[in-house]
Amino acid sequence: MIETKRPPQNTRREIAALPVDGTELALHLWRPRGQVKGAVFYFHGLQSHAGWLWEVGPQFADNDVAFYVLDRRGSGISGGDRQDLPDVDTVVRDYLTAVAHVRREIGDAVPLSLFGHCLGGSFMAALMHHPEFTTRYDAAIFCSAWLGRLHATLDEEQRRALAAETSLELWDAGLKSEDFTDEVRHRHFIDHDDLAVRALTHRSRGVLLGLEELYVRPRKPLPPVPAAYVSGARDPIIDLDDARVAFRRMTGANGALLQYPTDKHYLFYTDVRSRLVDWASTFTLIQGVDRDV
Amino acid sequence: MDTPLWQKHWFDRRAPFADECRQARDSLLTDLKQPALAQQRVLADVVDMSAGSVHWRERGYDVVADDHRRFRSVLPVMRYDDFVPEIQHETRTKGGTLTCSPVLRWLKTSGTTGAPKLVPYTLHWLLTYRIPAMKAMWGTYLEYHPELLAHPYATLDTQTVREDVFDFVHGIGHQAISNRHPRVNSRDWNPPWYESPWFGPEVPSSHEGRMYHRIRNLVGKELHYISSINPSTLISLRDLLAEHRDQLVDDVRSGTLEGRPYARPDVAGARRLEEALSRPEFTLTDVWPSLTLYTCWLSASAGLYASKLDAIFPGVDRLPFMSCGTEGVTTIPVDDSLHSQPLAVSQAFFEFVPASVPLGELLETGEPVPTLLFDEVEPGQDYHLIMTQGNGLYRLWTGDVYHVDRVVDGTPWIHFVHRDGVFHSFTGEKLTESQVASAVQRGLATEGLGLGLYMCGPRWSEPPYYDVVAEVPEPSPRLDRALSRAVDSALHEINIEYASKRDSGRLGAPEVATVPRDAIAAYVESHRQAGNTTQYKYRPFQRDVDFVTALTGR
Repeated sequence: MIETKRPPQNTRREIAALPVDGTELALHLWRPRGQVKGAVFYFHGLQSHAGWLWEVGPQFADNDVAFYVLDRRGSGISGGDRQDLPDVDTVVRDYLTAVAHVRREIGDAVPLSLFGHCLGGSFMAALMHHPEFTTRYDAAIFCSAWLGRLHATLDEEQRRALAAETSLELWDAGLKSEDFTDEVRHRHFIDHDDLAVRALTHRSRGVLLGLEELYVRPRKPLPPVPAAYVSGARDPIIDLDDARVAFRRMTGANGALLQYPTDKHYLFYTDVRSRLVDWASTFTLIQGVDRDV
Repeated sequence: MDTPLWQKHWFDRRAPFADECRQARDSLLTDLKQPALAQQRVLADVVDMSAGSVHWRERGYDVVADDHRRFRSVLPVMRYDDFVPEIQHETRTKGGTLTCSPVLRWLKTSGTTGAPKLVPYTLHWLLTYRIPAMKAMWGTYLEYHPELLAHPYATLDTQTVREDVFDFVHGIGHQAISNRHPRVNSRDWNPPWYESPWFGPEVPSSHEGRMYHRIRNLVGKELHYISSINPSTLISLRDLLAEHRDQLVDDVRSGTLEGRPYARPDVAGARRLEEALSRPEFTLTDVWPSLTLYTCWLSASAGLYASKLDAIFPGVDRLPFMSCGTEGVTTIPVDDSLHSQPLAVSQAFFEFVPASVPLGELLETGEPVPTLLFDEVEPGQDYHLIMTQGNGLYRLWTGDVYHVDRVVDGTPWIHFVHRDGVFHSFTGEKLTESQVASAVQRGLATEGLGLGLYMCGPRWSEPPYYDVVAEVPEPSPRLDRALSRAVDSALHEINIEYASKRDSGRLGAPEVATVPRDAIAAYVESHRQAGNTTQYKYRPFQRDVDFVTALTGR
């Protein structure tokens, strides 16, 4: 558990190369130099990547929690076509490989949480429901997560058309930095981040729909692990009511809702960052308590 | 009356700070007695932190992890510019590219091309190297002058500042090493005066404004110690006291700071201050009779300020600042030696190349460069310094040339001589800063004068020649002529290429112009730029002769 009386500790920041299907993906890690007592696997959203988490990673590590972030194929410093999602199987396989790698690295005794932000929450939910995903995880955190959005807003015919989409034309997600944060420094960073992905090919939206299918019409139940949906009081990008409905449907009695006093989308670039990281660390570490000892 | 919060912080931190500094100094002293062990430890640490980095894996440098002895044969000697592609990558990843530690800041320092450098300031470097170096140095200061922690007004620290940062690189602050703001965590630099009203970010960031606040807060107090990096800052402090005398006296009399209410009005104090400052030759001990210590760089060109410092600090002890740059610490004072300090063997993995080797040319052509380790250098010799720091910048040619004074317990004691490449050459004479300094010193000695501030620059003429301007007590045309001859004669002896070019008529005789004391100091001070004023340096060797017109009207 977290040591409550000790000075801040030195931490490590590593980037592992994870080859999947001939493409090198970047698996980022912040970890304590001493014993790893818990681990978080983070699914980033459409625009962001591990390079957005320079304040978050070290804090998790200082809490004795190893913090892993996979730059999704085509994002951050990973290989792969940018602004284009290949297909559902490839996306899921990348995550299957990465999460299994993390579990092997930390060992069975260390509690592992999955943490999905925004669109990353949708990728995470898809992975959790995928029949081939058998890696044990101990908790799930959806943060300002984009869940079931296409199913909530498109009718059946529209979804069928989207699923058949093959266009490589770009669809602008219309993301604005002022919706993410009101901190000048972070807005400047978002606006000038040359690794950010701000648009997707039309066919990629069809892939997003396919990923949603995996959890909107699940083929396997989730393990009975605690889950939480975390957000600000309002969110300028996410329809929180719809997202929470999708979350409750997925997690049932295992789910909890947590709300922080901000109306911005990217909680890590607001005043609540530190509290959110500490809460997520505690939520993860507590899963390692063994009552049977 | 309640104790102000900043004083509570001061009292809370006094004992722990002194203890931390003492421990850091003790660790350094232990390492200085076992330098080989310390160097092995540093190298092992660097390899441990970097072998897994993207850059080391891509280049195959990670093979060194299995055999540290291969470090020098596998990794090349680098210049800052060689690191730029990796640094650009690191600005995106914020760690993991050059070394496996989070990058907390980018340190700003001037680069050769005019674009400021980005020196990675990592958590590991902060905790393991930079903060312990600071504490070890302050441990020495405290050992010799414990009174600097006598009370909350005992120390004026100008070597570090706390300024808000407005320059960011992909979200991370880009700032001078001397700016310790904001504090990273509770293990970051946190001296007792960290919250003092003259130290925080609320103080004006301009040099003059900040200095006035320092003076106003401390005037009338029992100040023991003034800490600085550059001697010019101390000279400037005295100059600003003179320049702002009336405003300062008014503020003390009215109990204000820049006209705003600040403290109790002090009519008697104002009278004493006015009296002290009324003499043209007033000293800092006239203002603060309690002064017992000042510290700053005292070697190389900084040493040329010696007579000025003696004049403004009569009877006050001095100790040197560490030899360091933004890129890392090279020496740390451990005793009261003024002009030599031990190689900081616990701070970096050090290599040396004899100064006679044209290192820059070898690196340009990609030729391998054999290096010496700390136990292979010889007293009396000058060396290029190459250092591997725990921030990911490995085998970095610093461009600094150091002189080995002696070896104590196996550790070289060295002092900074000059920057490599700071020379001028009209026709291949490659005149260096230290050669000109020696020649000017010899010339002044023939007139019974000591070396003070001087400036030298190349004058393109037919034939070209060197212009020198030097401070003397009583300038005169006769002295100008005599010094011109003496400097020319000295350069003949010091630099054989110069002699050859002079004798063949390809170089003209140098022209020395004398100016009154403080003329150059004032000229230098007038060029102190906004931003990074704490690290502002006086440079005797100039690229042009603009200074001649400014100083002599010629």
